[in-house]
Amino acid sequence: MVRFPFLFNLSEGVNMKMIRLALLSMLFFMVAVPSFAAGRLTYYCSTDIPWCELMKKEFEKRTGIRVAMTRASSGETLTKIRAEKSNPKGDVWWGGTGDPHLQAAEEGLSQPYNSPKLSELHDWAKTPHTATGGKTVGIYLGALGYGYNKELLAKKGLPAPKCWNDLLHSAYKDEIMMAYPSTSGTAYTTLASMVQLFGEDGGFNYMKGLHKNISQYTKSGSAGIKASARGEITIGVVFVHGAVKQATKGFPIEAVAPCEGTGYEIGSASIIKGARNLESARKFIDFALTADVQSMSAQVKSYQVPSNKNAVSPPEAPDVSSIKLIDYNHALYGSKAERTRLLKKWDAEVKVLPR
Amino acid sequence: MTTPSFSPETTPGFPGIFSKDNLNLKLWLGIAWLGFLILPWYAAYDGFWSFIWVTDGYPTFDEYSPGILQITMHDRWWLWPVALFLLLPLSALSWSKTDPRYALTLLFSGGLGFAFTLSQGFILGLHGWGWEFLGDVFGPTEQKQFGMGYGALLVCGGFLFMFTQGLAARGAIKGDVFVCGSIGFCIVLVAIFVFFPVGRILINSLQDDEGNYVFSLFLEKITSHSIWGLDCFSSNLSCGVAWNSLLMGVLVGLATTVLGLAFALLVTRTGMQAKGFVRTASLLPIITPPFVIGLALILLFGRAGAVNVFLEWAFGIPPSRWLYGLTGILIAQILAFTPIAFLVLIGVVEAVSPSMEEASQTLRASRWQTFWTVSLPLMRPGLANAFLLGFIESLADFGNPLVLGGQYEVLSTQIFFAIVGAQGDPGMAAVLAIVLLMFTLTAFYAQRRWLGKKSYATVTGKGDAGVHVRLPKRVAWMAYLTAAPFLIMSLVVYGMIIFGGFVETWGYKHNFTLKHYIAEFSLHWSEQYGLLWEGAAWNSFWTTLQISAISAPLTAGLGLLTAYILVRQKFWGKDIFEFLTMLSFAIPGTVIGVGYILAFNVPPIEITGTGVILVVCFIFRNMPTGIRAGIAAMSQLDPSLDEASLTLGAKSFTTLRRVLLPLLRPALVAALVFSFVRAMTAISAVIFLVSADYDMATSYILGRVEFGDYGLAIAYSSVLILVMLAAIGLIQLAVGKRELGRRESFEF
Amino acid sequence: MSNSFAVEFKNVTKAFGEVQAVRDLNFSIQTGQLVTLLGPSGCGKTTTLRLIAGLEMVTEGQVYIGDNDVTKLPATERDVSMVFQSYALFPHMTVMQNVSYGLTMSSLPKPEVHEKAQTGLELVGLSGYGDRLPSELSGGQQQRVAVARALVLEPEVLLFDEPLSNLDAKLRRRVREEIRELQQELGLTTVYVTHDQEEALAVSDRIIVMNEAVIAQEGAPRQLYEEPVNLFVSDFIGDANLVKSTILDIDGSHANVDIRGIRIQLPHRGLTPGESMVAIRPQSILLKQSGTEDGIPGTILKASYLGDHLEYTVECALGELFVIDNQIQTQQPPGTNVSITFRPYGVSLIPES
Repeated sequence: MVRFPFLFNLSEGVNMKMIRLALLSMLFFMVAVPSFAAGRLTYYCSTDIPWCELMKKEFEKRTGIRVAMTRASSGETLTKIRAEKSNPKGDVWWGGTGDPHLQAAEEGLSQPYNSPKLSELHDWAKTPHTATGGKTVGIYLGALGYGYNKELLAKKGLPAPKCWNDLLHSAYKDEIMMAYPSTSGTAYTTLASMVQLFGEDGGFNYMKGLHKNISQYTKSGSAGIKASARGEITIGVVFVHGAVKQATKGFPIEAVAPCEGTGYEIGSASIIKGARNLESARKFIDFALTADVQSMSAQVKSYQVPSNKNAVSPPEAPDVSSIKLIDYNHALYGSKAERTRLLKKWDAEVKVLPR
Repeated sequence: MTTPSFSPETTPGFPGIFSKDNLNLKLWLGIAWLGFLILPWYAAYDGFWSFIWVTDGYPTFDEYSPGILQITMHDRWWLWPVALFLLLPLSALSWSKTDPRYALTLLFSGGLGFAFTLSQGFILGLHGWGWEFLGDVFGPTEQKQFGMGYGALLVCGGFLFMFTQGLAARGAIKGDVFVCGSIGFCIVLVAIFVFFPVGRILINSLQDDEGNYVFSLFLEKITSHSIWGLDCFSSNLSCGVAWNSLLMGVLVGLATTVLGLAFALLVTRTGMQAKGFVRTASLLPIITPPFVIGLALILLFGRAGAVNVFLEWAFGIPPSRWLYGLTGILIAQILAFTPIAFLVLIGVVEAVSPSMEEASQTLRASRWQTFWTVSLPLMRPGLANAFLLGFIESLADFGNPLVLGGQYEVLSTQIFFAIVGAQGDPGMAAVLAIVLLMFTLTAFYAQRRWLGKKSYATVTGKGDAGVHVRLPKRVAWMAYLTAAPFLIMSLVVYGMIIFGGFVETWGYKHNFTLKHYIAEFSLHWSEQYGLLWEGAAWNSFWTTLQISAISAPLTAGLGLLTAYILVRQKFWGKDIFEFLTMLSFAIPGTVIGVGYILAFNVPPIEITGTGVILVVCFIFRNMPTGIRAGIAAMSQLDPSLDEASLTLGAKSFTTLRRVLLPLLRPALVAALVFSFVRAMTAISAVIFLVSADYDMATSYILGRVEFGDYGLAIAYSSVLILVMLAAIGLIQLAVGKRELGRRESFEF
Repeated sequence: MSNSFAVEFKNVTKAFGEVQAVRDLNFSIQTGQLVTLLGPSGCGKTTTLRLIAGLEMVTEGQVYIGDNDVTKLPATERDVSMVFQSYALFPHMTVMQNVSYGLTMSSLPKPEVHEKAQTGLELVGLSGYGDRLPSELSGGQQQRVAVARALVLEPEVLLFDEPLSNLDAKLRRRVREEIRELQQELGLTTVYVTHDQEEALAVSDRIIVMNEAVIAQEGAPRQLYEEPVNLFVSDFIGDANLVKSTILDIDGSHANVDIRGIRIQLPHRGLTPGESMVAIRPQSILLKQSGTEDGIPGTILKASYLGDHLEYTVECALGELFVIDNQIQTQQPPGTNVSITFRPYGVSLIPES
């Protein structure tokens, strides 16, 4: 009886299967480059999904440009843009706290653009634009503050806080949640605001006092108010519009814009450096700064203050005129050096204290 | 047998071209030439499955030309050596396999060809030189090239398999072409898709902010007090993250192994009723997006949760936040990872030879003694692998510590925030990832030592018709008592999750509503367009299903193939290879996600923004479970079974398919289920890899959760859970049962 | 190159790391013969078998099967099949599927596969058992399935790795006879590994005795038994009393040997006058009444009755001797003084001592 030395036994079908298997698996390790065709836009979005989709659909409707959208939080989007630096895939980045946008500008990940709509904007919306040499522009404003759970507060018989300094009261011990400044943009804004509000020493003293009352530092900025909504904690330090949002969802949350005045974030938009569809990206920024587009945010339950003077602020949005806003120095506190310095100082002087 | 070189069949020229001799070589040489002469060399087209290039200027247009035209028409002269390395092996066709020249030629041209083709891709990139220092040495260049396309891919494949055939002809791996090829294939894949991206990001640990290499900085970071501090022993401050992670990993590893064993014993060795129900219920947690469990636990045990409310009402105990911290993480992770241990252990427990247990009993050991001295030690490979998986998973998990960790800091969350936090510090993330890997490596070697060199073969070629010894009463009770709380817990959690999808606001307003399901999954029938998929979730839902269905069989296949190589073959560097396969699994997904972008966003392998990168990421992230399950199961099979098959003339591939695979069915099910489910529920890596066309369910759900739309998130999750249950059923049905001829045997 | 051998080893060495399992092995096996590899455990015999099968690859040297150099060929491509010590029956396949397995691999048409497998099962007397699973057969039956599975391929070389070690003594004798009959009937070249010398003597055309990774001696069973080349072989093949002797002179093909005063003539086997060792089979020692002329005086230490023969341990000037006496009528009690002489056969000079 003869046996052949060849390796794949054709009649058995092994050969073909083997080849198919090998080919198939190799096929998957291949490449595709998004098209360069005009009339397209790759859009990174860092607000919540409904708002992102609204912007996408509205832009497509108005310009006929096909939009490919990817949504992720601002920290994640910044990380992604940073990793893609050598061969950028995104065109425009819209939404999310201003801080990462400032970082992107500083790291050279975004490019300048002077939109014709700039003149229609509030002054605060133009500060990041001037601070970065035109690389990012404000689209909405969110004031810093906190929110508390009315039911829980009543149950515990605690007084309703109105100011930053109220939070230092020993009655609130273990009743407050905020995020780590080093992991959350919200918490870093808090730290920077306190420093600007009370001076560097005063600010840090405030943070030390607050530290005594903190039940838990969370990783994510919005975790505190979410916990508060569900009764896990009484007070969460957060952007005011975040607290308002929980309240409109039906949770017993009261939003507070502190009496001493407060810092704020400027939700921003930037064009990514090396954008393949630069024209579309510019059109998108113009579109995003348009008054009637900004007025639409209430449709998707977003209650930030729009940056276009002519845009209609949603009724639920905190009234900017009633909030004392400090003159937030974006150029200084958005810079890497200052951020790193403040965070290191917080780690060394506040975090290590006993509670 | 091989024909001597002077036989009439193989005279010089192209004598044996139609003979079946060297068929394998002809095949791969043909494929390589096809890639070089016909298919586009670069991947400048619109997507892998897009065939626009066929009508859009092929073959002469720069971006679509095959390799040969790239050289001759487009002046890409540096591709000439590829042609040379493709010409050389043609001469091997006329030699017999035993001719030393045959092996040498293949080794030379295959090896150098592969190395050259790949490295030229790295050296010359999209914007000229791939590395800056090349510009410093050779001056600036005008040349540039895109990522590798079909052509380059086939040529590389051809070179690789020529090389492995050369090795086989030299007698490596017992001269087995299939095994040699598989080893080469697996090593190359692991190097490209695990080592390369992971290395790409770990290198950050040595760099300072400006990108300079500073070793002292690395030392300073890795010995930092925040990682290794022992303050928790001397004060009320917390210990370093490393210790926290280690404690958590060990506890979770032990607990999941014990629970998994309890379930496996209950299902296979007791007369318990409702086995099917228990099996399904114990698997439930694996099929849930992790943060859903975390949320359910908060609603259950949180300060405002049902349990605390009840305690306050009944006993006046004021609600506290005891859940947040190690306790919460442990509950969530044990729930989440026990199913994996169960999947690994069930096949192993069942395969323990009844005869050995019977032998022990005839030697006057009681059932209790038999269990402790014979059955349990024979399950060691399963126990060790289950522990390893639990340990690694726990360390790499980031969702649960994030939601439930409170002040308890672990490596994975620190890594996440070092990367995406306000103070972006990829260097620190890399350092922390290295610490995490050190733990994984230690656990890996500890399990190796514990298993030692003993034999655990319990399925031998001798028929074994024995009946498994009934579990001793004590053990059975222990198993019941261990498993019951878990079962109750997972049922309660699942009840809550399903409930959460049907109420207005989970945890606050509990009036019944269908609006979440309608928002996500509504269908609309219109006269004009027919069926409209109106729900917001459909897009990501179908993508997820498609990507998972593609990646699951590939993951399981590659995993079991790797297990086969690791258990049955000996080759140099095997231990390193085994550890490398676990890298992508052991590292938190965030790191992998960023690593994948860094590695695969630029030529020569440019796959970001496609579905391919998701599939690839899932394969290499989930493969280790298939490998571990495969290793545990395969070490129970007597090697003489494969040897018998080989001496009976079956090729290794046939042996794998006809002898080993049928005996490995439980492991195959475990691998398929795990990889499918994981592809559907994975988050952290996916966040960075999704794109507009390929959005995944979990990234969509996470977006909902981030903004507090729990109802929508949970409705979506519930649908995913149903889909996964159905898929698990289908997988079991498709794979079928293992037939060992034992009188009573229960299958998973 | 042409080669009349079915298997040939040329300078084969196999090392596992530092340990050499087989060292510089040279032997050849003629077509149609049954050759046994015999030796104590760890001597390298199983490694040698696996080297033939292609389950291990040589570190150095060449292996030929028939005319072909198969040194680097994998097991699959070698025309051999093997019966394993553990039988290695596929537990998930029926007896029929097990036996047909190899035939299917040779891409024979289905009816032919079935027919051949059926013939194979008939050959081992299991024709009615095709649909059973291996676990439903007795040990002996499983063993025969394993043999049938290997036989039906009609390989160039058939390999057995201690095939009988799992069977009881009676079954072992029967099955080894069956194997031998089948092998001779089909004229199959067979290599058979065992550590049981009796089994080896019973079935082999030739025996290769291995010790510590090398061949100790190679030859026909009778040759090995009667003319062991060294102490190891003489002791391993059958029992032997090894005693000192002096070769007085060489006379043609014979030597005159003095064993403690007893003079006998033995084939000289290349030895020269001087000190030398002699192997004496226990059956070749005669115990006579004390005081008989020429005998070496000794005392019986132990005596046991084994039904068909008596065994004695005798103390004398040569040391303790082991003696088998087929005269069972008279059993001499311990303490009896005897006079020891040797038969003319079963005594042999050992060249390599």
